[in-house]
Amino acid sequence: MSANLPAQEAAHIAPRPFFRTPVTEAPLIKFTLIAIGLAFIVAMIFLPLAAVFFEAFRRGAEPFFAALVEPDALSAIRLTLFVAAISVPANLAFGLVASWAIAKFEFKGKSFLITLIDLPFSVSPVISGLVYILLFGSYGFIGPWLIAHGYQIVFAVPGIVLATIFVTFPFVARQLIPLMEQQGKGDEEAALSLGATGLQTFFRVTLPNIKWALLYGVLLCNARAMGEFGAVSVVSGHIRGKTNTMPLHVEILYNEYNFVAAFAVASLLAFLALVTLVLKSVLEWRYSGELAASSRH
Amino acid sequence: MVNLPRAAATSAAREIERHRHAPVRIDIEELGKSYGNFAALENVSLTVKPGELLALLGPSGSGKTTLLRAIAGLTATEQGTIRFDGEDATVLSLRDRRVGFVFQQYALFRHMTVFDNVAFGLRVRPREERPRAGEIARRVRRLLELVQLDGLEKRFPSQISGGQRQRVALARALAIEPRVLLLDEPFGALDAKVRKELRSWLRELHTETGLTTVFVTHDQEEALELADRVVIMRAGQVEQVGTPSEIYDEPATPFVCEFLGGVARFEVTAKDGEADVLGSAFPLEGDSDYCGPALAYVRAHELEIVARERAEGVPAVIRAVRPFGPTVTVELSVEGRQSRIEAEVPRELYSSGELGIGQGVFIRATAARIYAAN
Amino acid sequence: MNSLATSLRPAPSVLPGWGITMGLTLTWLSLIILIPLAGVFIKSAGLGWDEFWRLALDPRTVAALKLSFGAALIAAGVNVVFGFLAAWVLVRYEFPGKRLFDAAIDLPFALPTAVAGLAFTALYAPNGWLGSWLVPLGIKVAYTPLGIVVALIFIGLPFVVRSVQPVLADFDRELEEASATLGATRLQTVVKVILPALLPSLLTGFALAFARGVGEYGSIIFIAGNIPYVSEIAPLLIVIRLEEFNYAGATSIAAIMLVISFALLLLINLLQAWNRRRTGIQA
Repeated sequence: MSANLPAQEAAHIAPRPFFRTPVTEAPLIKFTLIAIGLAFIVAMIFLPLAAVFFEAFRRGAEPFFAALVEPDALSAIRLTLFVAAISVPANLAFGLVASWAIAKFEFKGKSFLITLIDLPFSVSPVISGLVYILLFGSYGFIGPWLIAHGYQIVFAVPGIVLATIFVTFPFVARQLIPLMEQQGKGDEEAALSLGATGLQTFFRVTLPNIKWALLYGVLLCNARAMGEFGAVSVVSGHIRGKTNTMPLHVEILYNEYNFVAAFAVASLLAFLALVTLVLKSVLEWRYSGELAASSRH
Repeated sequence: MVNLPRAAATSAAREIERHRHAPVRIDIEELGKSYGNFAALENVSLTVKPGELLALLGPSGSGKTTLLRAIAGLTATEQGTIRFDGEDATVLSLRDRRVGFVFQQYALFRHMTVFDNVAFGLRVRPREERPRAGEIARRVRRLLELVQLDGLEKRFPSQISGGQRQRVALARALAIEPRVLLLDEPFGALDAKVRKELRSWLRELHTETGLTTVFVTHDQEEALELADRVVIMRAGQVEQVGTPSEIYDEPATPFVCEFLGGVARFEVTAKDGEADVLGSAFPLEGDSDYCGPALAYVRAHELEIVARERAEGVPAVIRAVRPFGPTVTVELSVEGRQSRIEAEVPRELYSSGELGIGQGVFIRATAARIYAAN
Repeated sequence: MNSLATSLRPAPSVLPGWGITMGLTLTWLSLIILIPLAGVFIKSAGLGWDEFWRLALDPRTVAALKLSFGAALIAAGVNVVFGFLAAWVLVRYEFPGKRLFDAAIDLPFALPTAVAGLAFTALYAPNGWLGSWLVPLGIKVAYTPLGIVVALIFIGLPFVVRSVQPVLADFDRELEEASATLGATRLQTVVKVILPALLPSLLTGFALAFARGVGEYGSIIFIAGNIPYVSEIAPLLIVIRLEEFNYAGATSIAAIMLVISFALLLLINLLQAWNRRRTGIQA
């Protein structure tokens, strides 16, 4: 009845003055809260991000691009991509295998096993690097034997890969396990009863159901793999042009007071993070129903 | 469970009596509320008498819950007034309005024990009005006694049954010594058996507290059985107000007839304020010399199956017989009519073997309500 | 490992692949995570009790551990307050750019820690955007323990927000209405009805932010100044000990950090489980 009444009656229909639904805050309080909340997000998130790009272009575009194409930078980019290209698929495979075993079967100690998979989240990255030095270093448990036979693990690329796998270990699995548990195993049982083999069931039934969550997990895993600093720093040995990833390269440039170059490489990493965020948000907005609601990190 | 231990209950009721003012009268005048183009309430005027138990009955979307929430002050209305004993309630804050509201899903605080839930309304009072801890504990125990939950003080809502939660919600609403008690579908979330038990218990409780009480329901049986008066709502408007027997015996509109259920509908033609239903003539409600299309409603027990040889009424064929309960329900098909008609007939007719399926009979109506179709 | 897998024995199921997938999971988990981590404790045990405590109680180590745990505690506490506020604003209010702000909360998950560290250093340096305001006021952030806290607030923020947000979004508005009809003021409703219901999720967010903060390295070392006994965090001290080839020293610090972190996480898990059993509220 109300929508198109003449104007003189509109006043009659306007909400009563001073009436506020009892479960909302007064406008003044509301705006204050929004202001504080957003100011906090701006100060903690947007300002640092802006600072990276600002510092990178402080002396214009030329030094910026020069810093990205010099040989050491290029080799750091190559190594970062190489490390991600190994560690992400490794964790992808592990995530699929582990979530099948954990989500599709009932067994004792399930939550303990999930806790073990989550362990790397609560271990300092530095310790994640340290453990491999204790194993493979020249004074380590099996390091001397390996080195004697010509296998250099730490202070070399294999150590960097291992440390990266360690810190990104839970990403895919913890994305898939809650989703697959939530989906149950009815679809798989139906497929099997219709005569599909185990592998057919997995690739034709299970995988399509989890593809967006899988992509989401891979995205986060990749961001961390390319950006990892602490763990990689410990095992890398910092050999320029050989065992320097992009984040390590940033540190070296910074310590040499080559700020523009440091921020240039850093801004490349920040750009990568922004792309990750955009893709992640798109996945969340579009396929929120197909990502497990319980775990958004 | 239904039968209260009388002594305990009355002493608890006396306790409430001490803190109670005279029951409140609610006057609602020309209340209006819309969501965009949808009118949730339209020109609703209604008086709830002091101490009365009033049911708001209607299908979903009829505005009954909106009306209840408006009385509580939970939903803002755009037009009209609500007065408690003459005082404009629409300008009062919820705290000053002091209504006891029982939510359909109870809305118990899950992190609080039963005791803390009931005590909540007393503990959030301004310091100068707040009873001392000992007094709060005494009152909460009395209320839990009244709703027969003594001994469950330390339980959490997740640890008690649905019916018990319902009563905790009621005790919590009563703890603030409300001026009116409002219940939204009070039995909606319970299974059929518990529902029946709680129904008569609520009636008793109302008698003992004497509070002006309004409850919402979509179950006509519940409304007619429980309430002093029933308000039937449709599309945001009041369709009929009356005592259960008024509503049942004199449904004001075709809508009320159909909503109460158990009727067969006939499309008939009226002439000079009369219409023929199943071979008998009946007067129209209201307008006495109306001519034109009309709707006739006949309740199942107002249909009679007559002996073949009398050839009264219209011919029908028995399609199914449901011989349960004090009467026997017979499904009949009548020529020229799509849907079957249900008739309730005495058991003797069934016992005498006259109700064979497929058998042809004659039926006639002993009463009918006829309304002019617009 | 495969024999262990079969000995776990799941409830009967028609789905195939239990043995192989569980076997692979346990093998890979052991090789990558469990055996290397166990190395820390084996190495520590090899030091002997006295030597271990001599290293652990070294004043510089103690100072670094205190700083790491203390700064992480403060930062997680700040995040509980501001993270709750941010989650509240993002869930309850509508304003332009809401989606952008919501998405931005996850930046600390995606941004490499070293980049964050550099960014904060640039911001809070005496000539930086914020430093040029704060330093004249006598507030020094860069190269002080305060800088560490700021970096850790950044790192921990999304943990709290993302823990609280879904719970707040699902919160039953009728509970707030019930509270209001019972006479509670809005503030009383928030404090007595909403906050207790959010407590488990706030605790989860706190624990995650704290655990992450204790071990954080990349975002801190640039801004901290790294002065021994003042602004030198435990992970950095591990790195320094390693560079001195003092593996025993590095390992003892790592062992202490791991034990304390795991104990705290266990404690919080137990608290959550107790609360869940008691009230049936899921975290």
